[in-house]
Amino acid sequence: MGDSEEGALRAGVADVLAERGRAGDVELVRIPGGASRETWLVEAGGERLVLRRDPPGSESLVPQEGEARLIRLAGEHGVPAPEILHFEPADRRFGTAGILMEHVAGESVAPRLLRKPGFERARANLPAQLGEALAKIHAIPVGETGLEEPAGEPVGSAIEEWERMLDQISEPLPAVEAGLRWLRANPPPPTRTALVHGDFRLGNFIVGGDGLQAVIDWELAHLGDPVEDIGWLCIRSWRFGNDDLPVAGVGALEPFLDAYVRAGGSPPEPERLRFWEVFGNLKWAVICARQAHDHLSGVRRSHELASLGRRICEPEWDMLELIGVDA
Amino acid sequence: MTQDRPDAAELLDALAEFLYADVRGWAPREKRFQVLVAANLCAVVARQLRAGEEPLRSDLALFGELLGTELEVPAGDELPAAVRRAERRLAEEIRRGAFDARLDQLIAGLRQHVRRKLDVARPGYADE
Repeated sequence: MGDSEEGALRAGVADVLAERGRAGDVELVRIPGGASRETWLVEAGGERLVLRRDPPGSESLVPQEGEARLIRLAGEHGVPAPEILHFEPADRRFGTAGILMEHVAGESVAPRLLRKPGFERARANLPAQLGEALAKIHAIPVGETGLEEPAGEPVGSAIEEWERMLDQISEPLPAVEAGLRWLRANPPPPTRTALVHGDFRLGNFIVGGDGLQAVIDWELAHLGDPVEDIGWLCIRSWRFGNDDLPVAGVGALEPFLDAYVRAGGSPPEPERLRFWEVFGNLKWAVICARQAHDHLSGVRRSHELASLGRRICEPEWDMLELIGVDA
Repeated sequence: MTQDRPDAAELLDALAEFLYADVRGWAPREKRFQVLVAANLCAVVARQLRAGEEPLRSDLALFGELLGTELEVPAGDELPAAVRRAERRLAEEIRRGAFDARLDQLIAGLRQHVRRKLDVARPGYADE
């Protein structure tokens, strides 16, 4: 990004803050990472804020305005989430559509959380805290979310969506195809629809010394089977090497589910959970393939994205293992 | 092969060692992960070179068996493209529902295929 564009963004943020009675100099630092959103650390008048906006030239699938509303709603329902200060539509002061929010202090990088000293207490507290937070997300009345119920049969639509995602890159992956057939043959019985966070996993939790401070990255939130979030949370890829600790690499399923149920969640039937774990692995395999394809097609040249092409086999293996377990 | 040693895999070993043991130490903190990824990619390619054609031949035989046809095994340079064609055909047959009545058999076969990918990309993953 050019200096002038960054200057315009800085002026836009300063203007929004001045409007809220917080005049002063604004400093912007780009935080790396984030495939579909740009993240900026904002320093203004001794305070730290975070700006998330659509990258210039691309429009996000999930409008930022909806995301801002969901984060606010989650906060109102007791889910630890960043406080939203302002939403700015596209083509105005932030250039693209963006959300200005409170900065939550803590660590979100998974390997650091799992290995660094100083997070022992956090790791011990996390399973129960995650269970409670997720139950609160799933208890939010769907009518308040502003999201539409999936058209047709929700599980079938989700499978079709990921078939499409794979077809767009035309990569032959027989194991993923077998997983898709298994999902079609083994759908869980219909259940109540809830707000699904959509990316509830280590990496999207801001964690302090005592544990969970905020659940972030709400851009994939949708309505669906609440157990989808539990399956995704538990896939082996999100344990970052702590393979025997299914809950985000920090804990066993039991304390997590105990807290989930205590906070009002329904205990997931084992078969339903297995279905969503298979689904989660399949989804991650397709995402890896798509990221590698972004490199190959030149959308974004990066050896890090390229490397994900050779990691497709990891969730493929985990998926085949899960399917192979007799129910 | 007319090149002198180190051979291709040995050169990648050297590169991986340099990235892992040297560059990682002085790279800025926010770039260290990317250095590790680069070192790991060198190791992946070195393993693939050392594994040679054997995994490709095994995959071609497996795909032919699952598809119920004898697939010709071309020599040398043609082999990877032939495996990919067979893989694409198998993927399409699965999508079309051709294996729905024998998903267990398909999955048992694909476990071997995925394990061969893991042997190069992430040795040990399947046994942990």
